[in-house]
Amino acid sequence: MRTFLAAAAALLVATSALAHHGAASIYDMGKETTIKATVTEYVWTNPHVELGIAPSGGATTELLLELGSPPNIRNRGWSSRTVKAGDVVTVTFHPGLRGAKIGVVIKMVTADGKELHA
Amino acid sequence: MIRHLLALSAAGALLAAAGGCSKPAAAPAAAAPAHPNFSGSWVRPLGDRETGGMPAIKDIPLTPWAAAKLKAERPAGGDNQDFANTTDPSLKYADPNGYPRISQHPMRFKLIQTDDYVYQLWEYNNNWRQIALNVPQDPDPALTWYGNAVGKWDGDTLIVDSVGYKDSTWLDSRGLPHTTDLHLVERIHKAGANLVFDLTFEDKGAFTKPWTAQMIYKPSPDGTMTENIYTISDELRFRERFLNQKVNIPIRR
Repeated sequence: MRTFLAAAAALLVATSALAHHGAASIYDMGKETTIKATVTEYVWTNPHVELGIAPSGGATTELLLELGSPPNIRNRGWSSRTVKAGDVVTVTFHPGLRGAKIGVVIKMVTADGKELHA
Repeated sequence: MIRHLLALSAAGALLAAAGGCSKPAAAPAAAAPAHPNFSGSWVRPLGDRETGGMPAIKDIPLTPWAAAKLKAERPAGGDNQDFANTTDPSLKYADPNGYPRISQHPMRFKLIQTDDYVYQLWEYNNNWRQIALNVPQDPDPALTWYGNAVGKWDGDTLIVDSVGYKDSTWLDSRGLPHTTDLHLVERIHKAGANLVFDLTFEDKGAFTKPWTAQMIYKPSPDGTMTENIYTISDELRFRERFLNQKVNIPIRR
């Protein structure tokens, strides 16, 4: 059962990442980075929800991450109020290619321990 | 079983009336639904998102024109991808997806079934189409994003015939082309709890012979539709922020 759930979770992650338009041409889909950072902005918008973070703990966006489209991530437990500027989160993402300060979120753990997949 | 009982009851009443039986016929039983009700919220299962139920390109009988057009397209994903310079009309211009591409997203749609129409409401881009029931197909329909669809029941299957599609849409995210001669025939039916769309594509300009695809949807227990209107300002904002592309109109914040 655990194996099945792990496989299902892996499929969820793989398909959600692939669903992003242009993902493979702007992100290193073979690399995962996990960091603890402060949320600087969280924008519930199309085509993809935007999450700005500052690993330094500051208030200015240092890394701009994208999530799925609002309906898709809503199905995975996200809402427009999941996080707000000032929250501290731990985010795992595929980083931008060529050193671009962007990424596509794989999962996020909120300060109270809630884990959400994008 | 209930339907059979109701049919027998109705048949008995008819026989009694025809035979001049002196015993008054019982009050007519409530009519059984003539057709299944497809109304509800439906969503693609996780898994086959890349083609959304469409066959592999090698299995689609493309004309030379369609093969060349497909080769020249630059979708946002797949082997031919070039996101920065994509030719995808739904990204480049934020055009409506058209049909059946819009049904290939992993998002909900609702069917609302009435006696005269079936309405299909997609969560993606808040687009919708109407299927007029029991009317003839328009011989010269206006060209539209979602075509002119008419439907009729064949037992428990709804058969939908549609024509009149603008040729600027892609049939899927790979860039599969079509002409304004596209003719779709859909057979929509239940398979257990799921709803199945069996599609036949005919288009002499794009395909050397008819071909088929099957799209399967499961019931969505959560029927709430999330607003998901995708505009050119959304796309330009994304490109400015994530791709550092210069855009030619001011971006709204």
